Amino acid sequence: MLLAQQLTESADILEVANTGSFWNILTFVVFTPLVGALVLLAIPKANQQALKVVALGTTLVAAGLGVVILTQFDFGDASAKQLGANIGWIEVINSRYIVGIDGISLPLLMLTLLIMPLVVIYSWNHIPSPGNPKAFFALQMVLMTGMLGSFVALDLILFFVFFEVVLLPMYFLIGVWGGEQRQYASIKFFLYTLFGSALMLVAFLALYFLSDEVLTPSGNVMHSFDMTLLPALATGISAGAALWIFGGMFIGFGVKVPMFPFHTWLPDAHTQAPTVGSVILAAVLLKLGTYGFMRIAIPILPDAAKSWAPVIGILAVIGIIYGALCCLAQTDMKRLIAFSSVAHMGFTMLAISTLTDFGFNAALFGMVAHGLITGMLFFLAGSTKERYHTLEIKRLGGLLKQAPHMGWIMGLAVMASLGLPGLAGFWGEFPAILSAYDPAEGLNVALFRTLMVIAAVGTVLAAGYLLWLYQRVAFGTPSAEFENDPNIVDVTTTEWIAWTPLIVLIVVLGMVPGILFNVTNPAVGVALSAIGA
Amino acid sequence: MNILAAVGVDNPPLDWHALAPELVLVGLLAVLLLVDAFGGERSRWAMPSLTGIGLLAALIPVATLAYDGVVRSMFDGAYVVDNYALLFKALFLIAGYVVVLLSTNYIAEGDYWEGEYYQLLVASLLGMTVMASARDLISVFLALELLSIPAYMLAAWRKRDLGSEEAGMKYYLMGVFASAILLYGMSLLYGMTGSTLLVDIAGAIEGTEVPALVALAVVLVVVGFAFKVSAVPFHTWAPDTYQGAPTPVTAFLAVGSKAAGFVALMTVVLIAFPTQPRIFEPLIWALAAVTMIVGNLIALRQTNLVRMLAYSGVAQAGYILAPLAVAGVSGASAAMAVEAVSTYLVIYAAMNLGAFAVVIAVARKTGSAEIDSYGGLFSYSPVLAVCMSVFLFSLAGIPPLAGWYGKLTIFLALIEPGTLAGYILAVIVGLASVIALFYYARVAKVMFVDPAPDGDTTPIRVPMSLAAALTITVAVTLVVGVLPQVLARVTGAETFLSIGG
Amino acid sequence: MLLTDISPLLSATTAGESYSDFVRSYLTVAIFGLLALGMVALLLGVGSIIRPNRPQPGKYLTYESGVDPVGEAWPQTQVRYYIFALLFVIFDVEAVFIFPWATRLDSETALVDSSGNVFEILGPYGSYGLVKMLLFIAVLALGLVYAWRKKVLRWM
Repeated sequence: MLLAQQLTESADILEVANTGSFWNILTFVVFTPLVGALVLLAIPKANQQALKVVALGTTLVAAGLGVVILTQFDFGDASAKQLGANIGWIEVINSRYIVGIDGISLPLLMLTLLIMPLVVIYSWNHIPSPGNPKAFFALQMVLMTGMLGSFVALDLILFFVFFEVVLLPMYFLIGVWGGEQRQYASIKFFLYTLFGSALMLVAFLALYFLSDEVLTPSGNVMHSFDMTLLPALATGISAGAALWIFGGMFIGFGVKVPMFPFHTWLPDAHTQAPTVGSVILAAVLLKLGTYGFMRIAIPILPDAAKSWAPVIGILAVIGIIYGALCCLAQTDMKRLIAFSSVAHMGFTMLAISTLTDFGFNAALFGMVAHGLITGMLFFLAGSTKERYHTLEIKRLGGLLKQAPHMGWIMGLAVMASLGLPGLAGFWGEFPAILSAYDPAEGLNVALFRTLMVIAAVGTVLAAGYLLWLYQRVAFGTPSAEFENDPNIVDVTTTEWIAWTPLIVLIVVLGMVPGILFNVTNPAVGVALSAIGA
Repeated sequence: MNILAAVGVDNPPLDWHALAPELVLVGLLAVLLLVDAFGGERSRWAMPSLTGIGLLAALIPVATLAYDGVVRSMFDGAYVVDNYALLFKALFLIAGYVVVLLSTNYIAEGDYWEGEYYQLLVASLLGMTVMASARDLISVFLALELLSIPAYMLAAWRKRDLGSEEAGMKYYLMGVFASAILLYGMSLLYGMTGSTLLVDIAGAIEGTEVPALVALAVVLVVVGFAFKVSAVPFHTWAPDTYQGAPTPVTAFLAVGSKAAGFVALMTVVLIAFPTQPRIFEPLIWALAAVTMIVGNLIALRQTNLVRMLAYSGVAQAGYILAPLAVAGVSGASAAMAVEAVSTYLVIYAAMNLGAFAVVIAVARKTGSAEIDSYGGLFSYSPVLAVCMSVFLFSLAGIPPLAGWYGKLTIFLALIEPGTLAGYILAVIVGLASVIALFYYARVAKVMFVDPAPDGDTTPIRVPMSLAAALTITVAVTLVVGVLPQVLARVTGAETFLSIGG
Repeated sequence: MLLTDISPLLSATTAGESYSDFVRSYLTVAIFGLLALGMVALLLGVGSIIRPNRPQPGKYLTYESGVDPVGEAWPQTQVRYYIFALLFVIFDVEAVFIFPWATRLDSETALVDSSGNVFEILGPYGSYGLVKMLLFIAVLALGLVYAWRKKVLRWM
């Protein structure tokens, strides 16, 4: 912490200035759910209707702010960090309250803002045992703040805080409202993620100390946690240290994605989580990992990323094939969808590991598409469980007969998930495979082309297990035990409201992928500028 | 030479302002004693209020001294009042105030000597405030004994309870054993250097002709303090003592006594041994690593919450020791270690006192500290369950609860010097935190998921004083977690630990 | 590290200059200890060789003077004695501090070095010292008052 005047000779030091104020639109959108959670806590437990209304109102206000953000966002300059602020927070370590969004974070922010109201609507009549909507919704609101914050934070410590805030509510959502094995699943989820984030934090701090210093607004020369400055500040880090630092982040983000071999928490967590928990997990939480790679690890340490890229690529493809094979062996519908997540996130990671514009665009599209489609599938699994009280595939059947609308919606979701052209899933999967044909300069082309071929085989397997699932669940005649079950009804009103936006987006993004690619493309270019692709 | 004559210099000028916090405590002690002696049974109710008011009154001179901002040094530098000392004086006084809040109903409703309880508490706190300023072997030792001896008695305060008597006895025996070791180390230091002043010792042992003796002295001193802070393998007294002692006393030991031990260790190591990093660094490194790992692993298997908190406290001691293991690399690393240790101690005090406050509140209903007895707490006393979760997850270091910032400062201090030892220890801290989370989360799970074991779901009535203690601790845990700058401004001040003399 | 540094200490008996007087003073203690042990061993050894050995039960009694011991050798002492012993400490400590203090209350003290030369003269404590000692006694008296009010002074 030397004073500025002592360092006049090093004129090329970066200067940081305070910009914007704390009270900006991103702050509002991030903390609205937290305010909602506090309001929920003040409402008596018995007044369930008020609790639901407040929860829904909060998510809708946040979503409304999201619309405002869309109107304010300058799409012509999607590569720049917009609408944010950069002000002091923890001055002793020069950790700052830096927020902002660009073309990479905007889609994920919008995805979160979309999913959360739907989740609340879906919960309207589906509060899982043991009830207690007050805590249920309050936790979801805290979770939402964590997720939104992670996507807008541009300071490593701020990001870490939001990243961890996500943990606790999810732990409780699984541990309290989950299935029979909920304790095991929630603890496993918690430990895996925390293990990853502990290493990630060490990596962040090593990055902090080894990178160059900046001049803070208060006139001190200090290291920085600023994600937007670190790509320039970290160029002086030795190659060996960079490899280790990247390794720490790799584990931290890799657990969250989850990448093979850190994925084992995911099937348990998904299977045991309540429906809305699974939806949030699949739609948003997993994206935090891939987002971390795209926003932090790769732009800041491009050279280390190149060294790690083959490892990431190979693990991604192992994840694709392994996930698919596991899917084929599942007897439980929810578990099958969970393993399909492992496979799908494998495609995303493969696209990321190519370190190309094309791959990053594909990865972002894949993240959004996976969020919509797998979210939808988990909603369907939850509703199936409500009706049949089981998710055992061999006991199900004839959904199209008993609940035709639901059957068709499931058909659409399954087709989207296996990557049918014209639906959103296609634009996540196909370009991801294609991107491996031509990886960034300096990467082993032969290796990546091999990976591409294996990944393509993965899509065939995906078609196999998804169609098999659909056939067993939707086709045929209902089994004797459910034939005249009055519980089995078609899509209810709340389900229609919750699902329609997802269905519409799956179709629209499938037909007009450009609306997303146009936003992501400029920002991706900036993230990869140091790779030289 | 006449030793008595040698220490007698012309009446040393006394800085009454600098001594004011301690003088207030001495006055409080006298008032409590007289009220207890002459007030009879009627005065019992006044004891906790008097003590609380007295402790808050002692905070006033601490505040004026901090506002004044001058480093005051007395007795040739043996007693220094600087920001470092003031921070810890304030910490001890506030922690003591919270302990009084925790004790009020517990002591009044049990079969206890009430007057003496508060007198001993104040005496022990007096020792702690002296410790914060001690910069000399004699004042360090004096403060250590002044804070320990009342604590030995307090640990055995549950009369006719074998567990409590065992607690007091174990604590006493291990305590005096540690004192003896410490004293032996100190005597070697004095023998070699001819001075008890920490600064003089630092100069005298640099380049000494008998490095083996210096090593022996440093090791003995560090080990002596390792008992006090319950570092593995010198932790064996802690679980039995914590479990057997009255719970407010346990809270006091786990927070106040331990913090005082760390203050002493940090002061002595950083002022007297800065030239000997190759002796104290590997020693503290090993102590910290073993303490974190063993403490957490044993905590995993506990079924009693107080015992679990005891082992978790052992593990936390490992985290707090860690920065000192790299403190000798440079001046900057020493400064960061001081910052990390003091930050963590403040945060640790808030979250641990809070956890014990919940334990006391719940025991009022269930009469038990077994983890199973916390089943269903969320359903019948949601506020307590949420408070407990806040403290437990803060102990685990989950943002945005204060614990995360404590962990962060420790990571920062470990990584800053850029040594391999620091990196490895940082990774161990990370992994140990993950293990720790497991048992903290298990308690949370029991509170939120499991049913009440006896089916009794009448809400717990929390007395006013306990509610106040919970409010203070929750507020600190949340505020520091969200706005760490509040604390960082105090602990990060320049020339934080002045050497004095 | 530790082991290699200790080696000069271990081999130091020949290299007299390499270690301090401080360590040598410990050597004196050690020599005395060894001498004491050796003396005991020698006397007992010689005794056991030359004395006649005729064991009988009476020789193992605590007292051989004719009074038979009654009861256990570990009786509990009345707890009241301990309290009186503690009270005694109050006055004892007072005395330990007051005597040396009294020698300097009203007169100068000369500091002499080992060869008898005066190198510093310290002034008397005076009234300032008197007040301090009164405070000290007052604090101790507080303890006595407490003991009195708690009826410790009554033999019950």
